[in-house]
Amino acid sequence: MKVEGLLFAGVAIFFAGIDIVYWYTSHDPTGTTALALAVALGFLVGFYLFITGRRTGIRPEDRPNADISEAAGEVGFFSPHSWWPLFTAGAISIVAVGVVFAWWLAIVGLMCVVITALGFVLEYYRGVHQP
Amino acid sequence: MSRREVNQSARKARRWRKVTSRSLIVALVLSMAAGCSSKDIPRFAMPDPVTEQGRKILTLWQGSWLAAWFVGAVVWGLIIWCVIAYRKRGEKVPPQLTYNGPIEILYTVVPIIFISFLFYFTARDQSDINKLSKDPAVTVEVIGFQWDWQFNYLDSANEKSARTVAQVTGDNAHGHPATLELPAGETVRFKLASPDVVHAFWVPVFLFKRDVIPGRVNQFEVTIDADKAGHTYIGRCTEFCGLNHDEMLFYLKIVDQATYKADLAKMSAQYQAGSSS
Amino acid sequence: MTTVTHVQPLERRAYRRGSALANWLTTTDHKLIGQLYLTTSFAFFLLGGVMALLMRTELARPGLQLLTNQEFNELFTMHGVTMLLLFATPLFIGFANVIVPLQIGAPDVAFPRLNLFSYYLFLFGGIITLSGFITPDGAADFGWYAYTPLSSAQYSPGVGGDLFIMGLTISGLGTILGGVNFVTTILVMRAPGMTMFRMPIFTWNILLTSLLVLLVFPVLAAAFLALEADRKLNAHIFETSTGGAILWQHLFWFFGHPEVYIVAVPFFGIATEILPVFSRKPVFGYKGLVFATIAISGLSMTVWAHHMFSTGAVLLPFFSFMTFLIAVPTGVKFFNWIGTMWRGQLTFDTPMLWILGFLTTFLFGGLTGVILASPPLDWHVTDTYFVVAHFHYVLFGTVVFTMFGGFYFWWPKMTGKMLNERLGKVHFWLLFVGFHTTFLVQHWLGVEGMPRRIADYRVADGFTLLNTVSTLGAFLLGISMIPFAINVWRTWRHAPNVEVDDPWGWGASLEWATSCPPPRHNFTKLPRIRSERPAFDLHHPEIVGRPRLPEPEPAAVAAGDGGDS
Repeated sequence: MKVEGLLFAGVAIFFAGIDIVYWYTSHDPTGTTALALAVALGFLVGFYLFITGRRTGIRPEDRPNADISEAAGEVGFFSPHSWWPLFTAGAISIVAVGVVFAWWLAIVGLMCVVITALGFVLEYYRGVHQP
Repeated sequence: MSRREVNQSARKARRWRKVTSRSLIVALVLSMAAGCSSKDIPRFAMPDPVTEQGRKILTLWQGSWLAAWFVGAVVWGLIIWCVIAYRKRGEKVPPQLTYNGPIEILYTVVPIIFISFLFYFTARDQSDINKLSKDPAVTVEVIGFQWDWQFNYLDSANEKSARTVAQVTGDNAHGHPATLELPAGETVRFKLASPDVVHAFWVPVFLFKRDVIPGRVNQFEVTIDADKAGHTYIGRCTEFCGLNHDEMLFYLKIVDQATYKADLAKMSAQYQAGSSS
Repeated sequence: MTTVTHVQPLERRAYRRGSALANWLTTTDHKLIGQLYLTTSFAFFLLGGVMALLMRTELARPGLQLLTNQEFNELFTMHGVTMLLLFATPLFIGFANVIVPLQIGAPDVAFPRLNLFSYYLFLFGGIITLSGFITPDGAADFGWYAYTPLSSAQYSPGVGGDLFIMGLTISGLGTILGGVNFVTTILVMRAPGMTMFRMPIFTWNILLTSLLVLLVFPVLAAAFLALEADRKLNAHIFETSTGGAILWQHLFWFFGHPEVYIVAVPFFGIATEILPVFSRKPVFGYKGLVFATIAISGLSMTVWAHHMFSTGAVLLPFFSFMTFLIAVPTGVKFFNWIGTMWRGQLTFDTPMLWILGFLTTFLFGGLTGVILASPPLDWHVTDTYFVVAHFHYVLFGTVVFTMFGGFYFWWPKMTGKMLNERLGKVHFWLLFVGFHTTFLVQHWLGVEGMPRRIADYRVADGFTLLNTVSTLGAFLLGISMIPFAINVWRTWRHAPNVEVDDPWGWGASLEWATSCPPPRHNFTKLPRIRSERPAFDLHHPEIVGRPRLPEPEPAAVAAGDGGDS
């Protein structure tokens, strides 16, 4: 994950440099803060990628002479279909419309968001007893 | 498609391209010719400036466009060349070139040189235009509000001690924009303020506009050319400010210095008497 | 249990269970979600186009003939937001959804349900935003930049403004989650041998665009929610006496400028995909393109206040210099595109025509952009039709031209049928002439004194003739959509199925190494990846100068989803 980590680290370093120049020349708090947040995002993701990369080592997609067969076998779990995205998005929309029109609607919407978000996240968390 | 059909459709496509490109050029020339006089063309559509700062801007505009047309000619030329010279002839596979270091560096460095020149002239002109003098001959406080203008003639540019000596307020709702009268050949300081939303003060013949922002006072200066007395020009609000933004007009009337003194005295008297025109 | 089926194009019915509607509502297939995005955003494009035609009809002659000031102001506000946030942004997500997993050899995106969730947030957010039109006070009418204090409750009461803000916040959340999905997919789901510097340029561009989305859409959401707090809760965040007006502009443009690169960079990627195929040569200067795009993306976040040059409140030299600088990597990309065509064997199929249209149009928009980068020149032309012309040249030139190029190019991959070439050429030429007739004259109008966002002008202004020309062009633009509609319909009904993986013959990236359309999880076998043109290496080994490769390994990707959908 070295190239990816470098990309995000580069983001952090570039914006840090720009931010310093910007602050010293303009003393504008708004732009300086926004750029500082960009540095933070770049650093967060870049740091994570470096750490993870060191743990997982070189993957087949990082090696130029890798064979397709190296990734044979199960790739992961892919949900075949789901109603929860529709319901959760609907719940969030109720909150939005509630903010515009009526506070009680927003609160109802928030409760729907809690329910649908739980349904969404826990959709496949079910299992049968296995001794 | 057979080769014959390919050639036929290619020929048809070429003919269509010629027709459309020719009609496009005709349309362009017609529309440009009809929309302006031949005198506007060397200024590339810019109005004839009435201030010293405006003339600087016009020169920068003309120079920048010449540079832009040059770059455009090169790049469009290259594209058209490719379309003509490299259309498919035969089945031979072209050399699969993927990079060429020297050329890539060349067309990275040359644009940097180009924009450095543009930036130098820009920086030079903008600091010049933004200069404020110590003691301008005329100071006008411009109040932009929904959807009209009020011009307060101040007796000095001093932040603390200036007082209003005359006032002009517009009535755009009834079709009577305010007229700002200014003397030719003098330096005028503008102070822009708004009691409500963001507006912008634009006199096209100044080739300049500045925003009128609630919570802040913007200032700029122009030096009006001495030979522009006797003309009236339009002024507009150019920051969207609500329902009747398109009607927020004013006039700029440039008069000779004697007329200006006399008219100012008249307006002062009216202002002292308690009415504003 | 996964079944390995013999792949036949258009046998997608074998994968579906339940009613067709339920399948579309619950799909987790990135190809179908991508088509949902493409169709919905295209519908918003047509809606925004109707708004534009209404405005242009009004502006053709002086005097108010068709609309009131109020209606006009609502129209230009909603036209801007529809085109940028409900058409162009979801459009890139649509293309990315359909193409990126195929190009990196992945079975789907990293978070398939999150993908569908993002789509619904976009759909519902867009509907909420536009629903202002059916409220008594009408839709938001303060311009899509929503400058404060005009957009505050004091100067713009009425729920249209609130619906605008909340709808866009929801839609923006969908975009952010889409960005998360694409970054993750590209980082962790590439096939073996697909190193970062072998990814197609389109995929690189999506990665960088998604990064921009993550960096700036939260700023927009925060600014919008702060504005809504001011409107609903009487907060004083954008209080004018404490500099609120300029604060809003900084926050908005910190998002707003990268946003136009978010909607441009993916489409630069589409151009880069199409040019090599119809030049029969590889992309010229692959690494240069990657670094140029990285430079453009990074610099795009340092130029925001060039939209604020006339406020007198920003550091002019910094933003002017950065804006001039961004022209350099853009120029590099241009020369790389030309280099791709140089000494090639060009054919002018419809996708190629669209990209040539993009190149010629975007070039002019870029040149006017360099003019605008100079504050002394910007002071005269900002907020006039010169800027309107500039951004339509760059935005329409990039987004719409390459969108249609991408449609014609990838239609066989998405649907298994080819769009008709002759109708495609009619479509292109009508649109090309219509576009330039509409917007070229607007440069002149702006410089000679016509401001933007005005519902009407006077006879004495002298703007009439060019406005009439512009309106005629706009109608031609509208008419140009008809051949496209006919083409789509006829193709769906009558076109023969595509039997090969690569109907264009010279495809380079992995999507051209699987069937048209691909099976549910994209590949039944992946070719060996040894360059940035794996499908080309597979189909044209004699050109690459290597002996014929042994048969690639079978059944490389097995998805453990417990069944097909």
